[in-house]
Amino acid sequence: MALAMHDGSRRMVGNRVLLTLLIAAVAGAALLPFANLSPNRLVSGQPVMLWQALSAWQLGGLTLIGLALLLAALSQPLGGRASSRLALIATLPLLALDFYALGDYAHRALVDASPAARVSQGATFWILLFVCALIAIDALQRLRLGLARRALYGLAALAIVIACFAGELLAPLSIMREFANQRDNFLDQLVRHLLLVAGALVPALVVGLPLGLLARRRERLRNGLFSVLNVFQTLPSIAVFGLLIAPLAALGKALPWLGDLGIGGIGAAPAIIALVLYSLLPIVRNTYSGLAGVPGATLEAARGMGMTPRQILWRVEIPLALPVILSGLRIVTVQAIGLTVVAALIGAGGFGAFIFQGLGQYAIDLVLLGAVPTIVLAVVADFALRLLVALSRPADAR
Amino acid sequence: MNGTIPGVPRLRAAAAGNLRLGALIVLLVALTLGMAQLEPLFRALFPDLGNPLYRRDSFLNLMLAHIGLVLVSSLISVVVGVAAGLFVTRPAGREFEPMVSSLAAIGQTFPPAAVLAIAVPLAGFGFAPTIIALTLYGLLPVIQNTIAGLGTVPATTLEAARGNGMSASQILMRVELPLAMQVIIAGVRISVIINIGTATIGSTVGAKSLGTPLIAGLVGNNLAYVIQGALLVGLLAIVTDLLFERLERHYAFGD
Amino acid sequence: MIELKGLTKTYAGKRVVDDISLTLESGEFGVLIGPSGCGKSTTLKMINRLVPLSGGRIVLNGDDVTDLPAEQLRRRIGYAIQSTGLFPHWTVAQNIATVPQLLKWPKSRIDDRVDELMAMFHLDPVEFRHQYPHRLSGGQAQRVGVARALAADPEVLLMDEPFGAVDPLTREVLQAEMKRVHQQTGKTIVFVTHDMDEALQLATRIALLNHGRLVQYDRPIEMMVTPADDFVREFIGQADLGLKLLSRRWVHQYQRAPSLEHHATLPGLDHCWQLDDAGRPIALEGARLDDDSERTEVKPEWTATPEMSMKEALSRMVWYRVMVLPVIDDQGRLIGEVGMQGIMGIQAANGMPAS
Repeated sequence: MALAMHDGSRRMVGNRVLLTLLIAAVAGAALLPFANLSPNRLVSGQPVMLWQALSAWQLGGLTLIGLALLLAALSQPLGGRASSRLALIATLPLLALDFYALGDYAHRALVDASPAARVSQGATFWILLFVCALIAIDALQRLRLGLARRALYGLAALAIVIACFAGELLAPLSIMREFANQRDNFLDQLVRHLLLVAGALVPALVVGLPLGLLARRRERLRNGLFSVLNVFQTLPSIAVFGLLIAPLAALGKALPWLGDLGIGGIGAAPAIIALVLYSLLPIVRNTYSGLAGVPGATLEAARGMGMTPRQILWRVEIPLALPVILSGLRIVTVQAIGLTVVAALIGAGGFGAFIFQGLGQYAIDLVLLGAVPTIVLAVVADFALRLLVALSRPADAR
Repeated sequence: MNGTIPGVPRLRAAAAGNLRLGALIVLLVALTLGMAQLEPLFRALFPDLGNPLYRRDSFLNLMLAHIGLVLVSSLISVVVGVAAGLFVTRPAGREFEPMVSSLAAIGQTFPPAAVLAIAVPLAGFGFAPTIIALTLYGLLPVIQNTIAGLGTVPATTLEAARGNGMSASQILMRVELPLAMQVIIAGVRISVIINIGTATIGSTVGAKSLGTPLIAGLVGNNLAYVIQGALLVGLLAIVTDLLFERLERHYAFGD
Repeated sequence: MIELKGLTKTYAGKRVVDDISLTLESGEFGVLIGPSGCGKSTTLKMINRLVPLSGGRIVLNGDDVTDLPAEQLRRRIGYAIQSTGLFPHWTVAQNIATVPQLLKWPKSRIDDRVDELMAMFHLDPVEFRHQYPHRLSGGQAQRVGVARALAADPEVLLMDEPFGAVDPLTREVLQAEMKRVHQQTGKTIVFVTHDMDEALQLATRIALLNHGRLVQYDRPIEMMVTPADDFVREFIGQADLGLKLLSRRWVHQYQRAPSLEHHATLPGLDHCWQLDDAGRPIALEGARLDDDSERTEVKPEWTATPEMSMKEALSRMVWYRVMVLPVIDDQGRLIGEVGMQGIMGIQAANGMPAS
């Protein structure tokens, strides 16, 4: 009987995930502010609810999008793929409206306010953005679109976001004012963040790949090697950064030419060393398991056809292990982007500098100016490397 | 496992492992309680520092605060995460499984430090944002591994359980959870280890932890503080990891 | 007794089991067989309601299976499947005790039952009781799987290709054991397989399914002798039909009194047995195919027992090139003989083509 009732509700609601997301969005919008208006940078502002912030046509548009999504969640009259397509398409105007309404509100609210007054985004803004992304993920999963169409959707969403940031629309928002103040510094820190990550990954690969091969060829070494490397993965990053300072400072003092090269207790040197230590385990482990995953029969066949050990390594083992090795690279890249934030605490710079500076001054916008780009960077790197992993697989296994 | 009676080398390895874990625990407790006794050592190592021993709080307090942060957040993470993992693997919640899985995968690419920073505008400074960030972040590996662990239970085993007349809750409690336990605990292990690290940074948003002397040392250029905090938190992480390794092994069935 | 009445299963509008009706009497060994996708497994799983019925009824010893709570029903029915589905985190004893545990039997009764079943399946309790499944060989695991299915003394035993994943040698041993267990316990068994030899070896009733429909439901011999249509004939296999038939025939059916002196009536077929003092055959005079040697020593390899299948007896005659085998009892005493001629005689009497 429970089953029958369950079937009954399912007959009316075609997509319970979408319905849940809609209810969450409506509840969020009803309870939490869309924006905050404060007289200056340091005073916490007053909350502005969605219906207070949006103009009549914007509210109407939002309602229409909401109704379209509700329609997509029901099994009648659309149902199936048509529903998912409608939901996917509806996310684009929702995304645009979320950004546009915030920027538009900021323009209107600041027209006759003091120059120190600030508008910042509230929880409902983030919730709508988040729900938008989740609806898109759900719809894309249901539709099982090909790579080209998924990329097309991604580009459309990206174009909307870029268009919002390109003009003056979002300029009055306090985080964008913060960005304008820090523009040059922001680019510096971005480059620095990326350099730190790259500076850690290259040595980690140079050391890690041969170590992985060694672990495969000498299985006896494997357990010892893995447990040593695992210790670094276990240690909190800030502890490793901290523990490296003293020896490196001593080294820099003892050998002044090293100090001249920039190697000292604080800054990039301990950061990069620590990042390399963190990156080694995933690279070594994935290289090992990639190679170990090559079927014994394949290796035997390669030997049987007269390949030399070197030929077997380059033509058989490495191509077959590549997807797993690249997955290791994906893990360490994302991890390094995150750990570099912490490295700002030992003066290595990067987006972490904004975060900790902002935390120190209780300047939330500065915190966000560091945190949000770091997250975007990590997600983008993850996505790009996942794509690379997929491309490294044989075409029929993607 | 390759015999009914574990071989002598295995026993010897297990004994060595016990000894090492025991030694590390003793070291952790001794350092937590007796860091002050090491003051002459730090004075000798850092002759330039006027005050080479962190005294604003006892290391025992800091250790307990740190463990408290991790324990509270991990308990919430485990309860919520396992419940969510169970929900999306039952018939009623299966529709949510792809969404929750990709959410857990994407969420884990977020840097923990950035999540901690973003919790500040939501919850202010102090204990609350740290607990929120730790709980949210700790959820993800638990959910992911709960789903993965339940997914490793062979279909034939489930069919046999049903065919032998077990009810849905009996199958869950007697078959699925015990078989998934190793993978679930591996997820909890990842989550706890990350949280021990993130709790350290929690002191930058005002939560008391072993990171407090560490960060104070970095800011105030006092390397002795840095080493005192780093040693303790590093030991705590290693001991915790080894304990979880044991727990995981306890739930290994088959090879 | 199991009655299927107009049993039907529809998946997405497609009838995978289509109006199947049959009755299996208590104590019978029924085999559901057919090509893959014919609905045999689905039919089996509807009996313990692992698959819900779309139409029709199943009556088990007078009870409609849909009247009982599914879990209670399943505890009355043993269930063994391919690759065993043993619980990897439980020992052999715990696995066997699954259903008794669910039924909350007292511990001592469970222990006794586990011992009894381990003995029945020749599993040494000392060695295996506390063993975990990953340490068992395929054949041992399969025995534990069947023992588990029998643990609570179920009214019916369902087996879904239980020997599908073990090697051919083990499979033969397991089939022989299954046959013995069936005879010992008198259980009603429903067994799914796609292997006709397995079906002929084990079944007392065979139901042949195709495209979800019951094509023929008969005793094995009838199915071979009077196939309902070409599909049945083809499925049973034309080439060695005669041999298959012989695999369902036993030496005692063909046995006749031993010839203890020469009869000069038929040249070449004339033979006589020489016995020792205890009445055991020591040599055969005549009836040898390949040479004219008058006397052949009897070897244990080419003797027959009354329970041996005629297929095996024939195989021994061909391999050792003798026209006739001595039939001996368990003391090795000559109690009869079985010969090439006898095989032909009875087959012809059964209306088989004499080719």
